[in-house]
Amino acid sequence: MSIEVVGVSKRFGDFLALDDVSLSVRDGSLTALLGPSGSGKSTLLRVIAGLELPDSGSVRIQGADATHVPAQRRGVGFVFQHYAAFKHMTVRDNVAFGMSIRKRPRAEIRERVDQLLDLVHLSGFAHRYPAQLSGGQRQRMALARALAVEPAVLLLDEPFGALDANVRKELREWLRDLHERVHVTTVFVTHDQEEAMEVAEQIVVMNDARVEQVAAPRELYENPGSEFVMRFVGPVAELGDALVRPHDIEILPVPDWGTEEAMVRRVSHLGFEVRVELEAADGRRVAVQVTRARAVELELEAGQIVWLRPDRGGALAGGRSAAQAGVGVAGGNPD
Amino acid sequence: MRASRGLRTVALTYLALLLVLPVGMVFYRTFEDGVAAAWAAVTAPDAVHAFWLTLLMVAVAVPANTVFGIGCALVLVRHRFPGKALLNALIDLPFAVSPVVVGLALVLLYGRTGWFGTWLADQGIQVIFAPLGMILATIFVSLPFVVREVVPVLREIGSDQEEAASTLGASSWQAFWRVTLPSIRWGVAYGVILTTARALGEFGAVSVVSGKLAGQTETLPVHVEQAFQNFDLAGAYSASVVLAAMALLTVLSMNLLKREEVTR
Repeated sequence: MSIEVVGVSKRFGDFLALDDVSLSVRDGSLTALLGPSGSGKSTLLRVIAGLELPDSGSVRIQGADATHVPAQRRGVGFVFQHYAAFKHMTVRDNVAFGMSIRKRPRAEIRERVDQLLDLVHLSGFAHRYPAQLSGGQRQRMALARALAVEPAVLLLDEPFGALDANVRKELREWLRDLHERVHVTTVFVTHDQEEAMEVAEQIVVMNDARVEQVAAPRELYENPGSEFVMRFVGPVAELGDALVRPHDIEILPVPDWGTEEAMVRRVSHLGFEVRVELEAADGRRVAVQVTRARAVELELEAGQIVWLRPDRGGALAGGRSAAQAGVGVAGGNPD
Repeated sequence: MRASRGLRTVALTYLALLLVLPVGMVFYRTFEDGVAAAWAAVTAPDAVHAFWLTLLMVAVAVPANTVFGIGCALVLVRHRFPGKALLNALIDLPFAVSPVVVGLALVLLYGRTGWFGTWLADQGIQVIFAPLGMILATIFVSLPFVVREVVPVLREIGSDQEEAASTLGASSWQAFWRVTLPSIRWGVAYGVILTTARALGEFGAVSVVSGKLAGQTETLPVHVEQAFQNFDLAGAYSASVVLAAMALLTVLSMNLLKREEVTR
């Protein structure tokens, strides 16, 4: 294991940021820490980096206890949301910083910086100052700077949070590519479930200072461990006592075992899929996604009475039972 | 248009009456009897001694308050500790307390019968009526400038860059020299210039602890006052001109710095 966090708690005054959190990150993997703001994900990342000292618990990096090792000697690369560029240094000097601290020979620094600038597509920008770069370029520079010291693990704190949507999408793909080429163990923090799903191999969902679930993106989507996770990683519909994905609801023209009556209120054709908004007998609104073919087959139109049933095992059965009733309150997808 | 012209007239008249005219008068009076007379007054042994003593005040107070100011600003911005609000308020004390009171307080502490004075006298160290006490007084009155200039700059840059430096392997000392100090250099520069200007011109606190011994414990401002009291008007005016010229130089260098900062 590349990173091992065991029983870490951290408190800021009255606020409990991490509550007995444990986590393992495999060597060479790409992991996302996903959660709403205030869930503790950034604090956990900072504890791993040594920028925050945990009140209790331990952190191991590549097998060695790092709990009390200062950030300076942990060998982690850290990328900040707001770039943390050294504003008074050129792009070249920024990237060279870690190596020049380590007193590497000039020729070696020069060569490695050139390589890295090439890797992050900033070769022509070596003599610019950070103020002369766009947000996306600054973040790529920050990445090159972090990679320059050949870190054991690369940690990114909401790396694309300050960028606009287009650049963000581009950098996500680029981060995946980079990870395939460099293969350094990478952990990044995000509150955007789509970003986590798209980039990460493993997702750690955090809520309320605790780890809610650790799983691969598909597993997380299909088998969420709690109502919170179910709600956080994708759209949900409530059907009777169950939480269901909108595409996991079957629409039947006639009543059957386990079905619930509902009236179609609106049918939206979104190309391949059709979004059907319905009103259940108790007045609750339910949104269902069906294929175009199925919508045509059912001749769906507003005012029609149909019967709904959760499809396959897609539902989080008993999702609204007493034990989990309180979890959903903090949930909801921020995007 | 008319309103702005009126405003301009008021502003310029105000400046002319309160600033340009008095300073101009001093210059005029100095060179009234010719340059030779002014030169003779300026190069009189007591005046020369006062000039060097004033430079000594600046040479000690400015570095001391720069180092203390940067350290203090770092502590105030980057650390949390009980009594922080008190420290923050204490730093402004020299702005609020009359320099004469500062001088008296120093006499009480370091004077012949003061708390430390007796012990220091036994060690052969004289503070009051000696340059050492004058340096203490100058440091006291010019203490807040660097802190007050650096604190907002430190707040603005945040701790991200320092944290980045530490994850890249820099010790806190290396992070300070290579990241923090270059980022706050303009704030430090302004602070140094304001400290210099204050240290040059300080009269009240210094005059109380100096004893005003001509050729021994007179800085330029004290020398001006003493010359004036002794009806040596030529000496007073010419020393004033030297002092004003030094202040002018300080203000000019501040403007040059500002221009450089803008072009960056």
